[in-house]
Amino acid sequence: MLEEALEHLVRGIVDNPDDVSVRARRGRDDRGRTLEVRVHPDDMGRVIGRSGRTATALRTVLSALSSGRPVRVDFLDQHER
Amino acid sequence: MTDTTQPEVTELTELTELIEVTEVIETTDSVDSTDSVESTESTEVTDETLSDGEAPKPAKVGAAGPRPSGRLAQLEQEGDVAADYLEGLLDIADLDGDIDMDVEGDRAMVSIVGEDLDLLVGKGGTVLDALQELTRLAITRETGDRSRMMLDIGGFRAARRDELTEIGTKAAKDAKAANEPVKLKPMTPFERKVVHDAVAAEGCASESEGEEPRRFVVVLPPASD
Repeated sequence: MLEEALEHLVRGIVDNPDDVSVRARRGRDDRGRTLEVRVHPDDMGRVIGRSGRTATALRTVLSALSSGRPVRVDFLDQHER
Repeated sequence: MTDTTQPEVTELTELTELIEVTEVIETTDSVDSTDSVESTESTEVTDETLSDGEAPKPAKVGAAGPRPSGRLAQLEQEGDVAADYLEGLLDIADLDGDIDMDVEGDRAMVSIVGEDLDLLVGKGGTVLDALQELTRLAITRETGDRSRMMLDIGGFRAARRDELTEIGTKAAKDAKAANEPVKLKPMTPFERKVVHDAVAAEGCASESEGEEPRRFVVVLPPASD
């Protein structure tokens, strides 16, 4: 559900929604997990926002939806590995 | 762990936006005071002050009235985009909530109404503020214009506004009765604005003192002359 929610939230705010993809990765210590969002390079600024404001907003919402379990959200250019 | 939640930062950035708004309202005629901020910001601030239906000066309330009718359609479109964005989220998260849309003053108002929405409000409204931020961006993506859409969830903002109006009204009465300034607790810029408006409605003046995030309202007794 978290991946889907994140994808929806990001798709709605970028110019290239079809290039948005989200991948979940288990954290090393199994306590939390990491969501990797990939977006079109031109949309990187948009998902991060001024002073990281948009990235922070996305993390705040995702943390709320994960009901207390830690979630890490990383933002990558779609071509990054 | 530190990377997962940063509510303080959210609050601070929201503050930054609103500080400018409040400052302009407080100084009413000195739009120049915002010249040091980025040009996009000062445009937004100017727009906020001049067109906000809740502005303390009665003359400005009228300014929101005779807008071209296209403006109403634009605000309604903002509401529609917001509703789509938020409904999508509610569906995915399997949360029950109805979305109400309204236009108040010169602003689109969108509310998610329902039980068990505390999750989406968060402590002190942090999650609500984050969702409002994202929804405004979704609107901007669709319309090309910056949006000042106000989001409420589970009546959180409405309740807080009522509470603050009461605080402002009481402080004004106290200031009058004691003929002394009344200092209030530190508040966010949005909260202070609601208090300033309530104080003005009681016929008292007020100002803000101190530095963020400890900035607070001082209600002044009526000038004795």
